[in-house]
Amino acid sequence: MKESGTWEPKIVAFLCNWCSYAGADLAGISRIQYPPTIRIIRVPCSGRIDPLFILASLQKGADGVLVSGCHPGECHYLTGNYSARRKFALLKGLLEYVGLEEDRVQFSWVSASEGARFAKVVEKVTARITALGPAKQLVKNVPGGSFDVAAHS
Amino acid sequence: MSQLTHEIREAARKLLRNKQAQLVIGFEEGSLPLRGRPCFIRKEEDVDRLVWTSFSDINVARYLAKRKEKVALVAKGCDSRALVELIKENQVSRDQVIIIGVPCEGMIDRPRIEAEVGHKAIVEVEETENRLTLKGRDFEKAFDRREFLYERCKACDHRNPVLYDVLVGQLVEEKVRESFPDVEAFTALDREKRWAYLAEETGKCIRCYACRNACPLCYCPECFVDTSQPQWVGKSTGLSDTLVFHLVRAFHLAGRCVACGACEQACPMGVDIRKLNRKLVKDVKDLFNYEAGVSLDEASPLATFCATDPDQFTVNP
Amino acid sequence: MIREDAGILRKERLESLLEDLLRDHLVLAPTRKGELLLLEKIESARDVVLEDGKTKNSAKSALFPQRERMFAYRAEEGKVDIQVPPPAEEKQILFGVRPCDARGLLLLDAVFGGDSRDPYYVDKRIRTLVVSMACVNPGPSCFCLSLGGGPCSSDGSDLVLLDLGDRYVVEAASEKGKAFLQNPSFEEADEEAMAKAEKIRKEAESAMNPASIAKALEERLEHVDDPLWGDLTESCLGCGVCTYLCPTCHCFDICDEAAATTGERIRIWDSCQFPLFTQEASGFNPRPSEKERFRQRIMHKFRYLPKDRHMAGCVGCGRCVTECPVNLDIREVLEKLSRAEAQ
Repeated sequence: MKESGTWEPKIVAFLCNWCSYAGADLAGISRIQYPPTIRIIRVPCSGRIDPLFILASLQKGADGVLVSGCHPGECHYLTGNYSARRKFALLKGLLEYVGLEEDRVQFSWVSASEGARFAKVVEKVTARITALGPAKQLVKNVPGGSFDVAAHS
Repeated sequence: MSQLTHEIREAARKLLRNKQAQLVIGFEEGSLPLRGRPCFIRKEEDVDRLVWTSFSDINVARYLAKRKEKVALVAKGCDSRALVELIKENQVSRDQVIIIGVPCEGMIDRPRIEAEVGHKAIVEVEETENRLTLKGRDFEKAFDRREFLYERCKACDHRNPVLYDVLVGQLVEEKVRESFPDVEAFTALDREKRWAYLAEETGKCIRCYACRNACPLCYCPECFVDTSQPQWVGKSTGLSDTLVFHLVRAFHLAGRCVACGACEQACPMGVDIRKLNRKLVKDVKDLFNYEAGVSLDEASPLATFCATDPDQFTVNP
Repeated sequence: MIREDAGILRKERLESLLEDLLRDHLVLAPTRKGELLLLEKIESARDVVLEDGKTKNSAKSALFPQRERMFAYRAEEGKVDIQVPPPAEEKQILFGVRPCDARGLLLLDAVFGGDSRDPYYVDKRIRTLVVSMACVNPGPSCFCLSLGGGPCSSDGSDLVLLDLGDRYVVEAASEKGKAFLQNPSFEEADEEAMAKAEKIRKEAESAMNPASIAKALEERLEHVDDPLWGDLTESCLGCGVCTYLCPTCHCFDICDEAAATTGERIRIWDSCQFPLFTQEASGFNPRPSEKERFRQRIMHKFRYLPKDRHMAGCVGCGRCVTECPVNLDIREVLEKLSRAEAQ
């Protein structure tokens, strides 16, 4: 439980099973501390990431999204992250272009042996998103905490 | 214009008579002034419906997918480029289509010219050479058509069809465009201004999917908006769902969209849809040195990769 | 003789009338948003545009919005709390809608009113006054006269304004309308004005093609398998433009927008032109292509509705003609079907 008054972002982290997830696991085993802001979703490969995953996360209230995969050239499936790299480059450019806060969606390459580096990635991403504050732009307007009953949106 | 009409009809007549094509897809006069529309000709006697006007503006390559017969397509530059991508994606085979290529001098921006006459009802339109005369109940106004082309037509650098079997008319001079001034101008705006603009445009969208359905490259049997297990995007109007629809559709077209403008033209609400597509066209060119619709041999950029693709966008602590 | 059912509104008094109404009504009127003419809530009389013809969206948007909350819910600790939006309280005025749009409301009234009363629609409807603006210059895509309406028809309206040039003749078409004429902005109607209005009305009507579409069609529409349907619909994109902008189309979908344990149930417009409309869970679709879906739309509007409700599902506004991205003209379709040889 965090103290009331200190807001922490909720960041969805899509990690590829073979490298980044293993790297995160290593950070944990090594007892390396990093901010508890990420919620990890394990995928077989960064190439599996559909932009819909990223956008759906933001729609459902994630303050940020991190997608991490193997270093190019080291993909367990040989070329999955090469395809991902192209898609991510275009997606990041498009999201920035429409005026989405730049740091909300971030990508990284973290290998299975890079436990410490994973922690640094999370620290950096968390710091950037904390500075932005809670995400508002793409969050879907579903009644929740403030149970409003406006007749229509 | 009328010379092109004549040549198109002759080409169609010949192809149907010699049974080289069972169907000719082209343009005909609309039922209203300032309109053109697609037509489907199967009999020689119907060939005179085909015309070429400043309103032959939808992308007819949209009607090619899943056809069994041999089709002759009356194609201007953008239509032919969409066709190139469809062929590369195996939606239609090259030898199934006979392209009647038409060098295009641009299409009239209907909303703009309607605004120019104060939104008064237009009863008749006459087109001769570059002169366009609009007649209403109590007015008559003449324009130089070249001043009322769609912005995308003014900026077009592929006015000639990139691929054709029969060429009608004379090839026109191509303008060489190196940059994307529209994308650069928008990028130069403040982030908040860009978001405000997109939010306003998205607010006009009524989720009719005319943009998607008019697009020659949107041919998925099940569109992502229609999946329900899981439902990725809500179906209602509302900034979040609507913007996500447009973002993802633009993204699905990355490297495939030829920026023909069929989407924004089909849109009844005048949403600036193509703005997103243009950004991706620029990035695909800058990052992967690829332009959609010009070469049958170049592989689609998201279907290939390069070991040295840029990744400055990643976080690297 | 003082007429109870007609009056004059001088143009210079229009603004003050509207400002007066805005004080205690929600006023929806045609207003310009960029290049679009939309029927929307106005904040000031100066935003109203009465001379530019039909709005892009139809009057149905005011009573049957594209997105409407049916209720919101919250589930916690084993119980579900449901909050239905309170019924509309504010009176609303649709000011300056065209006669075709007003007439379209009659079909919506029959569908959403009657035995299966839809509270979301009816609550707003009973609080709505319709002041329409007669069309003195019908456009080339208008065919209201062919469907039993007309450029100056009062069907569905409470009052009709007719532009004489320097002033409007205002005619009441209902008790509500008559009561509204008591507003001090209106002056007595003089014979000269009424005669001029009648002349303008006749001129507007004669400027239109009076061919009666609906009647010729009912028998012709027996022939469902006519191959003509394939030719007529070949260019159809299968989008929802015609249905969404139509003043009488009223199909909707109901879905839940949820976030874990809270959410809302909303009603949204749906279109019979979308493939999912009749898609069955097995994967089979009884209307697999644009041809079947377009045909069904025509049948629904010109055969089934006239049979069931004695009114066509069309008011001849022409929006489907002007807004269809491929200019698929419903009038041409109806004409070709009427003329074709019976199979």
